Amino acid sequence: MIQSHLQQESIDTMKLNSRPLALACVVIAAVFLAAVLGVTRTRLEAQGRGKAVYDKHCAECHGPDGKGDGPSAAYVAPRPRDLSSGRYKIRSTETGSVPTDDDLVRSVRQGLYGTAMPAWDRILSDSDIQDVVAYTKSLSPQFGTPPKVVTLGAGTPSSPESISRGQQVYDKLQCGKCHGTDGRGTGAVATEFQDDRQQPLPAADLTQPWTFRGGATSRDVYLRFRTGMAGTPMPSFAEAATDAEMWDLANYMVSLGRKPVWSMTAQEVADLYAREEAEAKANPVKRGAHLVDALACVVCHSPVDEQKRMLPGMRLAGGLLLRINPYGDFPTGNLTSDKETGLGNWTDDEIKRVITKGTLRDGTRLLPFPMDWPSYSTMKQSDIDAIVAYLRTVPPVSNKVPPPKYKWLIPYLWGKFNLLVLGGDPPIAIFTGNAGRQGGAR
Amino acid sequence: MIRILKWAALVIVVLVLCALGAFLYFIPPFFTMSPEDFGKAMAQAAPGVEGITDPAERAIAERGRYIVMTAGCNGCHATNGPQGPDLTKYLAGGGLKSKTRQATYVSRNLTPDKETGLGRRTDDEIKRVLRSGVFPDGHVVPTTSMPWGSFSIWSEEDRHAVVVYLRHLPPIRHQTPEPVFGNAVAAPAAVQEDHAWKDYGVGEAKPLR
Repeated sequence: MIQSHLQQESIDTMKLNSRPLALACVVIAAVFLAAVLGVTRTRLEAQGRGKAVYDKHCAECHGPDGKGDGPSAAYVAPRPRDLSSGRYKIRSTETGSVPTDDDLVRSVRQGLYGTAMPAWDRILSDSDIQDVVAYTKSLSPQFGTPPKVVTLGAGTPSSPESISRGQQVYDKLQCGKCHGTDGRGTGAVATEFQDDRQQPLPAADLTQPWTFRGGATSRDVYLRFRTGMAGTPMPSFAEAATDAEMWDLANYMVSLGRKPVWSMTAQEVADLYAREEAEAKANPVKRGAHLVDALACVVCHSPVDEQKRMLPGMRLAGGLLLRINPYGDFPTGNLTSDKETGLGNWTDDEIKRVITKGTLRDGTRLLPFPMDWPSYSTMKQSDIDAIVAYLRTVPPVSNKVPPPKYKWLIPYLWGKFNLLVLGGDPPIAIFTGNAGRQGGAR
Repeated sequence: MIRILKWAALVIVVLVLCALGAFLYFIPPFFTMSPEDFGKAMAQAAPGVEGITDPAERAIAERGRYIVMTAGCNGCHATNGPQGPDLTKYLAGGGLKSKTRQATYVSRNLTPDKETGLGRRTDDEIKRVLRSGVFPDGHVVPTTSMPWGSFSIWSEEDRHAVVVYLRHLPPIRHQTPEPVFGNAVAAPAAVQEDHAWKDYGVGEAKPLR
């Protein structure tokens, strides 16, 4: 009886004691849940704000879904990153790992030198950048795994000894196979490569540190050796070289940098330009490829889809329809080397006549706009030759583009009357879709 | 007698209409100028760099002039007069109105005027447009309206040369309208460009020196 009483008492005591405990548990659980929900909510809110920033500033290149396929993506080199892949060149994390938030924030803030990615720190606020980074991360499932950060040692300060050791490492690791013995391609086995999306990617010119994507301090350069550049042929050398060797190599790399043109004397500028001219002469196809891209030939001579993205595989294949009022319809020509539908059967002189005189093979004259042949006619002869040399090498794409169709006399005269006397604005309309017939399929 | 007069009047009307038609058909500049003259006019339109005293800067500006001239900046950034592009007002803008599904743009004044041209922009701001299509207010212009995607292929040194050259153009005061955002073109056209022989800028383009 006494025993049972005691037992009962102890149970009562326990009950009394357990009540605050349970309460505490509930409170802690609630706080924890609230915190988790709160963090998730904050993150979702940041992503929501980030999406607004993204849609306004980033989608033109990186595309509406971050796949690197925005309207302007096909015209820039290197191509914009596919943000859904989770692969990033500029990281402070191990090979195969995603970058840290700080890596991403830094790339957005300072841009990627030598590419079309600008420094956003002058335009976006810090919180905008944080938000857009949060949104960017949500585009790729790879960010479910936390980044594996590289532990950076103190490094080796630059000295003549370190640089000379670095040069030996450069030889040992055979960097010259891609970057040349002098860092700018001389004696390289190959300098033209492709990235993970089969887009052309030349080996970096190591004498132009202002084009190093992630910066040109020895720490930046060391990180590129250590982590590799995901999506490019540049591997990680963490296995092949010791930490000290990579620091020496970084110091050597920084020492290779030449003066940029904006700090040169007149003599140095003259020497640089003379060298560039000699190189253009030695490799006209490369020079021509640069000119065809840089003169925006690609923008009109490639058809686009509804979102104004270049149709895949149709670079320079023509077929973008320009309706130029009051003159008529002018589909852009197929500039590939296809014999049937492209320039394959044109002579060099016929191609040059279009570029410099706006006169087609059959004598039809083109308007001086938008095909700006009056401007192109001011080019040096060597550059015009280089463009023709390059166009000969463009892989053939069969796309039969109809010839220009001029308007009938009466609508044409009325259009000109409207333009010249009534002061109207007759538009040039650029249409989506391909005006040509792909391989005669349609 | 009256019948003869009627016939004569009819003939005169027909002749006048024909003359008007022929006038409209042949009016310059299209097709009445030889291609060589077109090219010559373009080469002479771009102001030279002889006035630059610093020899390094002069060499760089010469490179910039070559790029500006051959890339056809003046194709869009010209100022139009009643006879088409006015080549004496080189790159003073207003010659073209480009409408997309998102916005309407007017080609800007690229001369170094401090109030209406690039004089109010830093070198970095100009280079950012040429490299990334991003304007100081943060909006991104489509490559199909301003082909910056292609100009981003220029090396950073060439982009610098272009900016140096633009800084040495004769300044012209010519206000051009800021972009207006809002749907301006309906599908299926991707872009519509108004290219009349008139100036889409505000007021007359006035050379400052």
